[in-house]
Amino acid sequence: MNSPTPVIQIENLAYAYGRAEAVHDLTLKVQPGRCYGLFGRNGAGKTTTMKCLLNLLSPQRGQVRVFGLDPAKAEVTVKRRLAYVPDQVAFYPWMSVRETLDYLASFRERWNQKTEQELLDHFRLDPFKRTGALSKGQRTQLALLTAICPEPDLLVLDEPTSGLDPIVRREFVETVIGAYQEGNPGNRTIFVSTHLITEFEGLIDEFTIIDQGHSVLTLDADQARERFQKIRARFAQSPPELDLQAALHVRRNGRELELIVNGSGPELVERLRQHNPEALSTEALTLEEIFVATLKS
Amino acid sequence: MILQINFKSGKPVYLQVVDQIKAAAASGALRPGEALPSIRPLAEELRVNRNTVAKAYSELESLGVIETLPGKGCFLKENHSPLRKEVRRKLLTEEIDQAIVMAHHLQVPGPEFLELIQERMDVLDDKRRANEEQKED
Repeated sequence: MNSPTPVIQIENLAYAYGRAEAVHDLTLKVQPGRCYGLFGRNGAGKTTTMKCLLNLLSPQRGQVRVFGLDPAKAEVTVKRRLAYVPDQVAFYPWMSVRETLDYLASFRERWNQKTEQELLDHFRLDPFKRTGALSKGQRTQLALLTAICPEPDLLVLDEPTSGLDPIVRREFVETVIGAYQEGNPGNRTIFVSTHLITEFEGLIDEFTIIDQGHSVLTLDADQARERFQKIRARFAQSPPELDLQAALHVRRNGRELELIVNGSGPELVERLRQHNPEALSTEALTLEEIFVATLKS
Repeated sequence: MILQINFKSGKPVYLQVVDQIKAAAASGALRPGEALPSIRPLAEELRVNRNTVAKAYSELESLGVIETLPGKGCFLKENHSPLRKEVRRKLLTEEIDQAIVMAHHLQVPGPEFLELIQERMDVLDDKRRANEEQKED
């Protein structure tokens, strides 16, 4: 069986602003229909990576392919099939919401009127209001709306929910799940960069954590939650001296021991059990906790 | 039927949906012929990927727990597993073996383990009876 062309393919990408290297040797691949998370702290290189995909920056080393094409050579073909919501949304402030929608729709081959109306109602956006008078949350909602109505094969979201209140953030994610994924679900691909990971937890299929331009970890989300565990043990006396090299992180507090592990959970649990702990429990880490554990160790 | 996803369980999200719908069917919280929520609203409510819910539903369908009627949605089927009896027994045996191993490690002796199984079956029976009575009211 031929595997389908990846929607995004980044190979050994490097980019530096002057001497400051923003992305160093980044490689990743996003298959059609997947929701892929790019997680990193502020300044980790997420936006630079996204800009290379959109031909807003040219890779200095390595290459990027979107729908199998070079975004620099086939810019129009690529951009026809994707939509982008940046972290700082800007519209022409003198245009009304209605005018903005008509203006942006004129660049698109497809524009789903039904989705437009549904989302205008859902977000309670006034079509006659000028975009300059919208709040930050409303501007982001408008940006999301204009990204979803053309029904793109790829939705690129760069820190879309930072600076928004929790209600708007929740609605944002629900809209991506509902309105965007609804039509042709097998081919609706999402590439999202964020450090607000909890919001996107259920949406993410696969992710890469980048730190200072370097890729630190790439995993399937379900596998990640299976591999990364927090083990807690309490003993009658002080904890036994064990070789805990395999743990990413160890916390001791009196008779208690807390370990963060990556993959070696069952084996460590077995070893702890041999010392007859009073209590022993394990739980999976959430993606946000995995992010923190990975960058702290 | 209200589903709850727990990202800390370490269990794949789609399997959590599968297991909870199976449990709802076993307890009578979901009755044969009753409609399941459609994929989009359920995905929005749980805030999980639409494909995750779709995967759970197709798994339930292949297990013979639910059926999809084109244009109408997904419904809980009468309890007829498509698998032969020996296959069903084998699948259950695997699960029981795991529970036995766990009981051993948690130092729960055999008789107590059997008692616990009876107790849990009674709990499920009670739930089912309660759901039946509600239906009659």
